[in-house]
Amino acid sequence: MAPPLSHDEFFSSLTNLLSKTSEKARGSVSLTQKPLVDSASNSPPSTLIRITDGNTSAPNPKSADKAGKITKNTSSKVKFSTVVKPEELEAFYTRYAELCKSGMTGMKKRDRKRKTKAKGGATKAVKA
Amino acid sequence: MPYLPTTQAFLEQSALLLEAYPETTRITTKYSFPTERRAQQHKREKSLAKKQASSTTETAPTDSTPSAPIASLTLKTYNPATGVCLKYRTNKLQEVSRLMTGLGKLAGGADVASLGLSGPGADVEMVDAPAAEEEVVQTQSGKAPAGGKGKKKGGKGKR
Repeated sequence: MAPPLSHDEFFSSLTNLLSKTSEKARGSVSLTQKPLVDSASNSPPSTLIRITDGNTSAPNPKSADKAGKITKNTSSKVKFSTVVKPEELEAFYTRYAELCKSGMTGMKKRDRKRKTKAKGGATKAVKA
Repeated sequence: MPYLPTTQAFLEQSALLLEAYPETTRITTKYSFPTERRAQQHKREKSLAKKQASSTTETAPTDSTPSAPIASLTLKTYNPATGVCLKYRTNKLQEVSRLMTGLGKLAGGADVASLGLSGPGADVEMVDAPAAEEEVVQTQSGKAPAGGKGKKKGGKGKR
């Protein structure tokens, strides 16, 4: 596994990956966090954050002839990680959360006006 | 592998699990689009087109998502040693930042109390539940001979 990236590199890679995924409207991005246990020190552990696109590089035999060209080009699995020290945690997560919010554009957006309109219509329909 | 009903419940339970096994528990957040076969995609586009045609005033939702599937966010707190797995799924963008900051707190080793979520929600439920029961009992005693059907109708209409 490649060594952990610096925070700036990590964030730019993540932005890139999220926007790519959202654009394609296909596939997924996994973000995993776990404590990086260091048995030598007693201080609170750093957090390891790993990102992957969950791309199993083996092409699907069923769709091989159709999607074969595409998968060949992009078959490499995206995988990167970073390590967050306890004292950097808060600043990191503020940025992380912001980035996720802006990157995950494929999810349902909150549109107050439109939603209330739609809701009103729905309830009316139910009542009638 | 239960899906928890609310963000709060998920963060609380995860905090408990992390407290119990701080070193081995991991949290995975997956942002994913649903996989669709061609036929499904066709179906969805068709139904969208139908909706648009039938309700000309309500074109807003279809405009904002031009035939794209809605992505979802699945959170999973997993402890491999015990096999405990807690999950939460949402497709609302507005929940993302709250969840992520929650995860940040969890990574920092926050316990349930410092998440500041648990108290009020549970209390409100406890207060509400008995009151509702009393009402039901009253209506039951009042209209006992009317039978099940009548009771149900009356209750729904008045409230």
